[in-house]
Amino acid sequence: MTAECAIVGGGLAGFTAYQTLRHGGLAPDEIRVFGTDSDPAGAWRTRAAAIRQRWMRSESDGHCLATSFPGLAVREARRSRSLAPLVATVLDRYHPTVAQFLEHVAELREQSGWDASFRAARVRRVRAVDGGFDVDGQGSFRHVLLAPGHPGLAVPPELEGDPRVVHAYEPHEHEDRVAVVGAGMAAATEWLNALAVGASVVSVRRREPERRPLNLPRPLFTRRGLAGFHALPPDDRARTLRRLLAPSYPPGRAWDEPIETARRSGRFTVAAEVDGAEQIVSATGFRRGFAHDHLLCRLVEEHELATAGDWIVVGPDCTVPALTGDERTLGLAGVPAALGFPAADTLVGAKYAARGFLRRIFRCRTR
Amino acid sequence: MSYTLRGRVESRLAAAVVALLAAAALGTALGDWWPLELAGLMIGIGLTLDVAAYHRLLPYQPGWLALPLGLVELGATIGLARAAGVQAPLAGGIAFFTFAWLAAQVLVHAALPLLHRSYADDGGELGTAGTGLALVALGVLAGSGGVAWATKPPLYRLANDVQRGPLVLDRPGVYEGGPRTVVRGGVVVRTSHVTLRDVRVEGGENGIDVEQVQDVVLDRVTVSGATLDGIHVRRSEVAIRDCVVRSPRGGYTQGIDISFGLEEPVSMVEGCRVSGGAEGIVTHYANAMLSRNRVSGTSLRGITLTEMSMGMAERNDVDGALGIGILCGDHSECELAANHVSAVRPDPASQDPTRMGYAIVSQLGAHAQLHASRGKVGAFVGGTIVRR
Repeated sequence: MTAECAIVGGGLAGFTAYQTLRHGGLAPDEIRVFGTDSDPAGAWRTRAAAIRQRWMRSESDGHCLATSFPGLAVREARRSRSLAPLVATVLDRYHPTVAQFLEHVAELREQSGWDASFRAARVRRVRAVDGGFDVDGQGSFRHVLLAPGHPGLAVPPELEGDPRVVHAYEPHEHEDRVAVVGAGMAAATEWLNALAVGASVVSVRRREPERRPLNLPRPLFTRRGLAGFHALPPDDRARTLRRLLAPSYPPGRAWDEPIETARRSGRFTVAAEVDGAEQIVSATGFRRGFAHDHLLCRLVEEHELATAGDWIVVGPDCTVPALTGDERTLGLAGVPAALGFPAADTLVGAKYAARGFLRRIFRCRTR
Repeated sequence: MSYTLRGRVESRLAAAVVALLAAAALGTALGDWWPLELAGLMIGIGLTLDVAAYHRLLPYQPGWLALPLGLVELGATIGLARAAGVQAPLAGGIAFFTFAWLAAQVLVHAALPLLHRSYADDGGELGTAGTGLALVALGVLAGSGGVAWATKPPLYRLANDVQRGPLVLDRPGVYEGGPRTVVRGGVVVRTSHVTLRDVRVEGGENGIDVEQVQDVVLDRVTVSGATLDGIHVRRSEVAIRDCVVRSPRGGYTQGIDISFGLEEPVSMVEGCRVSGGAEGIVTHYANAMLSRNRVSGTSLRGITLTEMSMGMAERNDVDGALGIGILCGDHSECELAANHVSAVRPDPASQDPTRMGYAIVSQLGAHAQLHASRGKVGAFVGGTIVRR
């Protein structure tokens, strides 16, 4: 059988979608994956290493398997022959290490046939054609899932070109006086990193960060919270999303105690503007919006797709309504799918989008 | 997990199917309805709490919360079962609930997320499978309800006034009296599967005579003025609950006598008040469990387990017996636990050394095990007593 499904994007969102399609019964030769790096964790690994991240923010279900059970806590319990990970997950205290997560991805890559489906190609254009989509000359596919990832690192305009600036997700060491711009998970991690090597830290932020265990309130990860979100008109969804995506990092002593100790000794201060720091770490995340992504931008223009704010309008299953029907599917996964699932750039979000895509494939009349 | 309301209900019903199937299997094995009745209550309470409380109060339910919520539901289920008169043994009821709860945890935390890809995203909803499971659960409930209805014993209402006896019960069924139902001259049970409830029996040689039958329940009966035994059971299996037996003073009368049924299943006397007569409750060559009875004012012994009986007497209250409070006699095996024996009077007129005011006596090769028992004890003529 020839491939009828294409995943554009070989990162974690594409990889997770691939696992879901395989679990749904599609063979490796029925799926084509287009990306620039055959290692699905390649880009993520670099960023995690840059901020010296050791623990995942996600919990036991932050994995790439198609079903939420068994999660990483079960995997660790089995390997360590200990109930401790299971007890921790029952108490919402389990977070896998980055090393465990990467090991899980590597195992899954080997078992799932990912490399057989992978084609090294940068896709710059996806165009609707009769009964499917042309994927930048690589062939025509009935069902296409776009998982292009983040469209680049965001640096505040006023800091662009400043030689002192390094983005948190780029490899770097810390100077003696570091200004960390931002208030999310990466910023908080950088505060601790810099303090750990003896630097003084100025946290540059315009608002106090939210403290919550996951990126978003938990009900928004299930239909309970999603039903209300999906019921909103696209523009209201976009507004809600901007509010929800405000910077946050988890609560807990592991974060608070080093900062409090440093604050008392004058090594941690908060400021609204960057001052005369030797080094500025821009922990300001990624560029936001389809307009920064060449592929998505062109897709919107050529097909006159509906947009709301920074996002392409998608249905509750993260598919693009104007290009999805009985015979073909165009789905989004990862960060561009946020109007379908607010936490789309998480592993749970990637799975959610993939399931919606798979349901559409099953529903397709020609299958 | 952040459940939707539908997700809660469907997950509950999925777990209910497991509980109902287990209850049906257990009920069949025991030949009793209580597992299904308890499962029905458990499911009803769970669904009520899901709709009325959990959905509103718990937008997100962490895994650990299942334990305290389970304890709340256990308490409510057992309490309601008691109030509704479900005849489930406490330990059995708790064990069944625990099994069903554990099965539910495995189901919602492992099996359903494994079998249904979007179980977590869907807030516990199961789609078409949820509707199917709901139908299965309702089908099992309706089916077992139908069987219960079809096999329900007939109910005979006794006239709410004085009737001349002896009243002979020769058809299986439930015989139920009213507040003023009195049978003068005794009741004779001649067939198995009989329940006699809320009846006063006056006079007769034996107040209630049960012979060579099984599955007989005497529930809330009051017997007085019988010239031999208040309740006379031979080669039968009975459950006597919450009865009152008053025997006349003088002569050799007995409150409850269960005899010659060692080959029968265990008979039970529970929650009865027996007063007067020579012996309060006595078993000869029988399997019996005597529990939470109050025996008072007997002139020979309060409770007797004798002639190779196998019995347990626990939490009984024996007061004012003459000579012996509790006797384990003639090669019987007796387990005596937490009985309270008080005001036993010596019987010097008998010139019998075993009757000199003992709370507990073991004699003639009988073996008694005592648990948490106080008072004067004596072992005679090869009888033994072991304290545990």
